[in-house]
Amino acid sequence: MIKAENVKKVFGPVTVLEDVNLTVNPGEVVSILGSSGSGKSTLIRCINGLERLDGGKITVDDFDVSKPRELAEARKRSGTVFQLFNLYPHMTAVENVTLAPIEVLKRPKAEAEKEARALLASVGLSERADAYPAQLSGGQRQRVGICRALAMKPRYLLLDEVTSALDPEMTAEVLNILAKLAEEGTTMVFVTHEIEFARQISDRVVFLEKGRLVVDLPTEQFFAEDGGMANPRVAQFLSKMRKD
Amino acid sequence: MRYTDFTPFDLVLLAQGLGVTIGLFLATTVIGLFIGTALAVIRFYRVPVLTQVVTFITELLKNSPVLVQLFLVFFGLPAFLRINVTPVEAAVITMSGNTAAFIYVIAVSAIESIGRDQIEAARVFGLTRWQVLRHIIAPQATAFAIGPLTGLLVNQLQVTSLISVIGVMDLTKIGNTLNLRTLQPFIVWAVVGVLYYLCAKLIAWLGSRLETRLRAHTAWKGL
Amino acid sequence: MRLDLSILVPHLGFLAEGALLTAQACGLALIGSLIMGALVAIARTSSSRAIRGVAFAYVDLFRNVPFIVQLFFFYYGLPELGIYIDAFTTGVISLSIAGGAFASDVIRSGILAIDPGIIEAAEVSGLSRRKTFTRIVLPIALRTSVRPLGSVFINLILTSSILSTITLNELTGTAKIVASDTFKPFEVYVVLLVVYAALTYLVSILIGLLHKRLNRDLVEGAVA
Repeated sequence: MIKAENVKKVFGPVTVLEDVNLTVNPGEVVSILGSSGSGKSTLIRCINGLERLDGGKITVDDFDVSKPRELAEARKRSGTVFQLFNLYPHMTAVENVTLAPIEVLKRPKAEAEKEARALLASVGLSERADAYPAQLSGGQRQRVGICRALAMKPRYLLLDEVTSALDPEMTAEVLNILAKLAEEGTTMVFVTHEIEFARQISDRVVFLEKGRLVVDLPTEQFFAEDGGMANPRVAQFLSKMRKD
Repeated sequence: MRYTDFTPFDLVLLAQGLGVTIGLFLATTVIGLFIGTALAVIRFYRVPVLTQVVTFITELLKNSPVLVQLFLVFFGLPAFLRINVTPVEAAVITMSGNTAAFIYVIAVSAIESIGRDQIEAARVFGLTRWQVLRHIIAPQATAFAIGPLTGLLVNQLQVTSLISVIGVMDLTKIGNTLNLRTLQPFIVWAVVGVLYYLCAKLIAWLGSRLETRLRAHTAWKGL
Repeated sequence: MRLDLSILVPHLGFLAEGALLTAQACGLALIGSLIMGALVAIARTSSSRAIRGVAFAYVDLFRNVPFIVQLFFFYYGLPELGIYIDAFTTGVISLSIAGGAFASDVIRSGILAIDPGIIEAAEVSGLSRRKTFTRIVLPIALRTSVRPLGSVFINLILTSSILSTITLNELTGTAKIVASDTFKPFEVYVVLLVVYAALTYLVSILIGLLHKRLNRDLVEGAVA
């Protein structure tokens, strides 16, 4: 279980997150929506320990991410996929995927590589397994990014606007994979601009507004006229996103 | 007093050595600047054959050890041309030539930093190549070159230390003398090192001041 | 006044020995410089002010004092401390320390140029700081810095001629002996000059090839 309690994050004079409470149970798919600058990505970065909290507490399976010793454990349980892929440019797709399993989980190299190739094959990249990131298209890179996160067998997958750097065709490639993962019961927290997609695969949708978590509802209710849409901010946001 | 003790006169020796180092550095810098710039102008005028020869020689000078160049001038030239070359003459010739080679490279890239379009525009207005060089290129190229030039001179000051090897009584040679006499290499070489360090810092400081001043003329001053 | 290079022929073997010593000294000093350079580059990005200060002082000092002074400091100074090492070792150490000062600047800017997102990716995947540095940061920084590091290496080769002043018979040292044996210093030093220039030219070509090879995968859209 990922649990955020009264989370606060400040960048200089700007309060980016304020009093955020969120619980993600195993098996759940939770989408985080909100306009740019609402603190969605920062929340993800707080969960994986890339940002230090200025208040409150986040635990991943009861491991407190603010405590250095526990952060390592917390990180083993979650995998992150980034907006700009952040692949290691000097390593092939397979090497990108196997690095952490070999170095962190101390898996035997041959075994890790076999699994990595299977993972890459499952996202349609068996032919490109030995290519370097620069030789791959954006969609292919993001698929490698997803495999890299999955290779650690995380209990939770954190996805930070993973399709916003991709064109529609490549976005579809990546979303298909995420849909498949959701079907298989992977726990996911994802920040996204793909409203329709979020609606299809999420169990719950939360809405951030100026650093505050203002709506947290099951997907059906979130999109219902008398549910989330009753909140004028949410309605405004959804209509704006749909127009774009 | 033991023979190996430091004496107040050692300070005079050090000052003399420093004077020789600085004097040689300044003289060869001026000569090198003059020759290097002249060579760059030859290239600017695209003088056939001469341009290729200049490029070849400067490459040779840039890519070989100064020590070897120094030996060639000091030991080689007298034997080959049957002339007399004193250590100081050899030092001046070698250092000037070496500095010129590097200044040539800086000058060429400074000239090339100025857009072809500017030069062509000026030529269209009927300015001669020389006028273009004098009024359009030189002022801008100088501002461009100050940074790399400062770096070069800091380096060339250090290179002058090699002339001690052929017996010029510069700072390093004085260091050698004191080292042999006092047998206290740590102190001697630390002091010599500090003196070089301070000179290098002085050059860098002067360079950056000059750069700010030159930039001030060309920079947008605001309202 | 005739340039007769045939007088060198009987001495070629001896000169080759010197060249070999130069190659050995430069090869070892290159490794030393890279290690020093990497360590100092890490120190300069350290969170401790004291460590950063020491690293900066090292670079500043060794870049602004003539190599020959550094060399004499170690060659004559170390025995004063009771450390007796031969001229070759002293030379390699001195070259490594001086080269390290230049290499650290190159490696440091290579490190600073790395996309922070890549380092974050390594961090969240659980890699330790040390592993992140050795497996991700350093390899990327070294690859992108091949050319400027090559210039440092070429300077190392040219600077190694100064080792002849501490009785080391490397290329310049052997040439000095040949020059005085044959009474033909002009011929000897002309050839020596050209040999060094050719050597550094060759090295710069090799560096260009190495750069291409190491960075072939980093080129955007190399294979579609």
